[in-house]
Amino acid sequence: MKLWHSFLKELKLGSKSFYFYMELLMAVIIIVILTMVVPENFESKANEYIFLDLDSNFEEMFIDSIYASSDNVTLEETILEIGKDEFNVDLYETDEKRIYIFDNEVDMKKTAEKKKSLGVTIKLQDNGMFFDYYLQGYESEKFINIVKSVHVLDAVTMQAEYDKIPVKSLGGTQDVLTDRENLLPLFLYFNGSLMGLFIIAAYIFLDKGEGVIRAYAITASKVSTYLLSKVLLLSVTSLVTSFAVTFAVMGFDFNFLGLFILVLTSGFFVSIIGLILSSYYSNIMQSFGVLYILIILLSLPAIAYNIPAWNPAWIQAIPTHYMIIGFKEIIIENGDFMYVALTSLVFLLMSIALMPVATYRFKKTLTVGG
Amino acid sequence: MKKIIAIFMRDIKSNTRDFIAMYILLIPFIFGVIINLLVPSVNETTLNFAFIEGENPSQVEYLENFAKITLVDDYQALEERVNRRDEVVGIFNDDGLYTILVQGNESEQTNKFAKALLMFEQNDVDYKDANANIYDFGKTVNPMKSLFVNLLLLMIGVLGGMLIGINIVEEKVDNTISAVNVTPISRVGFIIGKSIIGLILPIYGSFALVYLTGFSDINVLQLIVLSLVGSFVGIVVGFFEGTKNTDIMEVAASIKALFIPVFGCVAAIEFLSDKWQWLFYWLPWYWVYKGNGALLANEATWSQIGLYSLFIMIPSVLVFIYLKAGIKKGLE
Repeated sequence: MKLWHSFLKELKLGSKSFYFYMELLMAVIIIVILTMVVPENFESKANEYIFLDLDSNFEEMFIDSIYASSDNVTLEETILEIGKDEFNVDLYETDEKRIYIFDNEVDMKKTAEKKKSLGVTIKLQDNGMFFDYYLQGYESEKFINIVKSVHVLDAVTMQAEYDKIPVKSLGGTQDVLTDRENLLPLFLYFNGSLMGLFIIAAYIFLDKGEGVIRAYAITASKVSTYLLSKVLLLSVTSLVTSFAVTFAVMGFDFNFLGLFILVLTSGFFVSIIGLILSSYYSNIMQSFGVLYILIILLSLPAIAYNIPAWNPAWIQAIPTHYMIIGFKEIIIENGDFMYVALTSLVFLLMSIALMPVATYRFKKTLTVGG
Repeated sequence: MKKIIAIFMRDIKSNTRDFIAMYILLIPFIFGVIINLLVPSVNETTLNFAFIEGENPSQVEYLENFAKITLVDDYQALEERVNRRDEVVGIFNDDGLYTILVQGNESEQTNKFAKALLMFEQNDVDYKDANANIYDFGKTVNPMKSLFVNLLLLMIGVLGGMLIGINIVEEKVDNTISAVNVTPISRVGFIIGKSIIGLILPIYGSFALVYLTGFSDINVLQLIVLSLVGSFVGIVVGFFEGTKNTDIMEVAASIKALFIPVFGCVAAIEFLSDKWQWLFYWLPWYWVYKGNGALLANEATWSQIGLYSLFIMIPSVLVFIYLKAGIKKGLE
């Protein structure tokens, strides 16, 4: 009951504060960025820069292979601007890539280097095509081996052998999120959850400065009630902004309950960590460096999220990894609700386990810097 | 001048007590270590395969030349490994036919890639027999590494501004600014004294980070110019936050909001097509990131650096002029 009254009081005060309106404004800005600036899908076609040092027969054969590789191929004679240089090129655009054919090798190499892309000269050798690849120099040995292996078998044999390889699927379905929707979990975990670490610390230092925490020592209310009411206030703000942003991007196509419990529990967990950390410092200036480094470290799973094939074990030891995956499960079609529920449960249990530590620290340090 | 240095020394003294001096020294090192640990493993990433241990060791040996390999005990463990959330593709012997095992939610590119590699192995393709030569442009710095260093250079600059903002608000809350007002130090002197920390952190931090991550052959003068103009943005933002906000909660909200335009500029340059770039031209961080990117790639010309510096300074000076009157009021 005391917690409820304390929370209502915080909510009343909080709703009039600059912070609350700033949060709402940020949600609006995020919505505008996501819906109006970020394109539905980013440009994902690969660029290839090619010079054909071939006779007309082989050149024709190569161009035919471009047309054979895709159902939709367009040809455009165009001018490619690279810095101050302009090059006349034939641009073949397929479903997967853009192939620029140059009329000399120097221009092709210049472009490949500037654009940090693959450049190839195809020439005649031993009555067949031979490929001179121009890479940047930082590519891994594994990547180079793959590039070389493509040119051992002839194209027809390679396609026939490729088609023979059987594939067994375990029944999962491909994610059908657009690039814009794919960004949403990053916004949700960063704005709704991760930044709670910093905001709760600021709240505590504000109250410390004003002597509110010290005043609690002589009231009938418990320190844990005070701390929980702060956490709840942050949770309500996060819920409002997270739901607003998710509605704007996804419409009604997401798991409401999943979003509700994950925002609440992940925010709760991060806030408790923020509370414990802030108890070791007497002002925000002291704690800022630690909070800043921690926020950067906790952001590392966002990199793994964008590079699915790179997912080292240590990334999975960072709690924000589970937040990001959880938020993704909430918005994908047929998302794994069990995963979201379990993740939320673990965050809740960890928060409950850490709450006594936070309370103990605050009881012990009630007067530090106050 | 003596008084300005006195203000700075007082800040340093109180900041040393508050561990700030320590993290000014430490932050670039921590960032540098993260980058040095992270980038090689990201760069090595092509595809992840899982095999049943002992099923076909020569196949594993062959595919190790192309992909990262994980070994598991049996078929059940293989299914479990493939079913995890990361992108690992299994290969197993299905009644004498080597088969790709996928979870089903992998990208089309991953599936094609896996099939192609197994096809190479099944047909004894030896990459040493390829009708191809590989040449390179001699670049050794991975663009991923440049991206991380550039991003963290930006974050160090932003941190300088945040520290100024918090510092001023704390002075306001503690009423020490009123005390300064009755001392012989002028307001300009006070402002310069407060700004020094926002100047030292980005310049020291940029050099430490750049050298620690192996970009030592870049143009040092260009780095100094970009760090200086970049730190001016930080200082202006710091004073903006410090003077406009009255308590810690407000400055915290402003700092949180600051991440939107900063990350927005990075995302715009890295992901958005050319036709949307103009939307970000008015933000100084856009040009800081662009300038540092060209600098790290050793491609920055002086006219480019000059132009970018101008674009960084114009909005910053405009905000500073707007703030001038507010600073007087805000510092009361």
